[in-house]
Amino acid sequence: MKKKLLLLLLAVSAFSLASEAQDTVKTTSDAPLVVYGSVDTYYKYDFSKHANIGTYFASDNNSVSIGMIDLGLKKKVGKASFVGELAFGPRGQYQSVPNGDGNVLNANNSFNIQNLYVSFDVTDKFNLTAGYMATFVGYEVISPTGNFNYSTSYLFGAGPFQNAGFKATYAFSDKVSLMAGIFNDQWNSYTAITQSYTDTKGVVHQNGEVSTFGAQLTVTPVKGWTAYLNFLSGKYSGTIEDLTTAYQITDAFKLGLNAANKTGAGAADYSGVALYPQLAVSKIVTLGLRGEYFKWKATPTTASSSFNAFTVTANIKSGPLTFIPEIRFDHNKDKPFTDSSFVPTSSASQFALAAVYAF
Amino acid sequence: MKKLVVAITCFLFAQGAMAQKELLSLNENNKYIYYQVVEQPGLTADAMYSRELNFLRTAYPKLSIKPDKANKNISGTGKFVVTSVVLLKHEDGELSFTYSIENKEGKYRYWITAFVFTPYQRDRYGNSVPQPGIAIPLEDSSKFNKKDREGYLDQTALFCKQLEEKLKLYIINAPAPKKEEISKKIVTDKW
Repeated sequence: MKKKLLLLLLAVSAFSLASEAQDTVKTTSDAPLVVYGSVDTYYKYDFSKHANIGTYFASDNNSVSIGMIDLGLKKKVGKASFVGELAFGPRGQYQSVPNGDGNVLNANNSFNIQNLYVSFDVTDKFNLTAGYMATFVGYEVISPTGNFNYSTSYLFGAGPFQNAGFKATYAFSDKVSLMAGIFNDQWNSYTAITQSYTDTKGVVHQNGEVSTFGAQLTVTPVKGWTAYLNFLSGKYSGTIEDLTTAYQITDAFKLGLNAANKTGAGAADYSGVALYPQLAVSKIVTLGLRGEYFKWKATPTTASSSFNAFTVTANIKSGPLTFIPEIRFDHNKDKPFTDSSFVPTSSASQFALAAVYAF
Repeated sequence: MKKLVVAITCFLFAQGAMAQKELLSLNENNKYIYYQVVEQPGLTADAMYSRELNFLRTAYPKLSIKPDKANKNISGTGKFVVTSVVLLKHEDGELSFTYSIENKEGKYRYWITAFVFTPYQRDRYGNSVPQPGIAIPLEDSSKFNKKDREGYLDQTALFCKQLEEKLKLYIINAPAPKKEEISKKIVTDKW
């Protein structure tokens, strides 16, 4: 009996190892259901001894805190694919995705969805996608695996996080492609919500419009350099023009740039530019700087306000784990920060150490 | 005892399936190469050339193909995905390569070389996409984790071997070219 069990065990192991080796040459399109994601945790210390810098994530001061666990599922069969990405934790819930539909029972009911879309390749060059997707605007993203710095820029926080809609992408060549789409009236919302009213029974009703136009021109002028010209405009959410580009100039040196301008309805208007030079100093260590100028534009009731922010970050990799020590200095002459005595001040600085595990 | 031999054979087979990299050699430029000369007695260079073209266009439609009809040679480029297992299978990146097939009467030779690794990153939509501008020759051991590189070499050799085996089978079993049907014509000026 023991011999039979041994035989069975070895046969199964042989089969599974052989299958492993065979599977490795398969391309993404043939892959079975893919599970991917990340977890992240951090410690932050603000030199004012309280949380002071208002950008996203790394929000808790003098605390070992969690970011999120991000769990994605994706599958492609032939020309059809889907992605469903769920996130749990402060970063993946109330800091980055909306709650329910406005009714009392759903007021705090997060759907936890970062990405939920289906996609179809009409041809090798033409793709159609519909659902709730990470926005195409901007350089930085919600997932910590997609950013070099752990804290985020002002530009990231001011712009959209997700857009729900329908988009078509056509690749003219390896170097040029164009996406155009129609999206819901509001950013960061699972549903279109132009109007919202509560009836006599307290039930919230919402009407919406799929009325925001978005387009992205992707250009790859030379090998290693990709530029995205983004445009998003709707009568309820305003207009954003955005340039996001990154150039891997050498194997070790990469330069990224994000510039954006927002006007019109919806969220507050802003403009800004951020530069992201990064240098790989060894196989496992990369150093990077983020220098940002950001301005909230004046409104009829408030004056404009400008920030300069410099963030020095290292990425230290050990397989799937990345340690991210980071120090950040922000300045705004309008004194939006407070010092350790809670007296308004023009400068703020913080240190953060994060660990991000990707799978 | 017999069962034990079978078990050991299974185990060795499993190990063999994972250790394919011995199939790769270094060429005169110190690049990894998978090289095979295959005898096909009775087949003309012309027949092999057309079968190879058909094979590549149907079985590997994403490969670039540069046919050289005059010399009955084919060359081109391609890429395949390499993976590692960290909890789950992870798409690490892709390996690009160049290939060549040369034909002579009764034999052909085939090689794949110039393997260059481009790591994948996950984009904001959850897709694994190549990191622009990063291209690391597979020979450059300093740029890889040792275990990852061993895995990529195994997967490279396996990819080459599978391509070659499929090609060989196709050349042997390819359907004969259709003969043009000669339609019977009636000439009315003769009885």
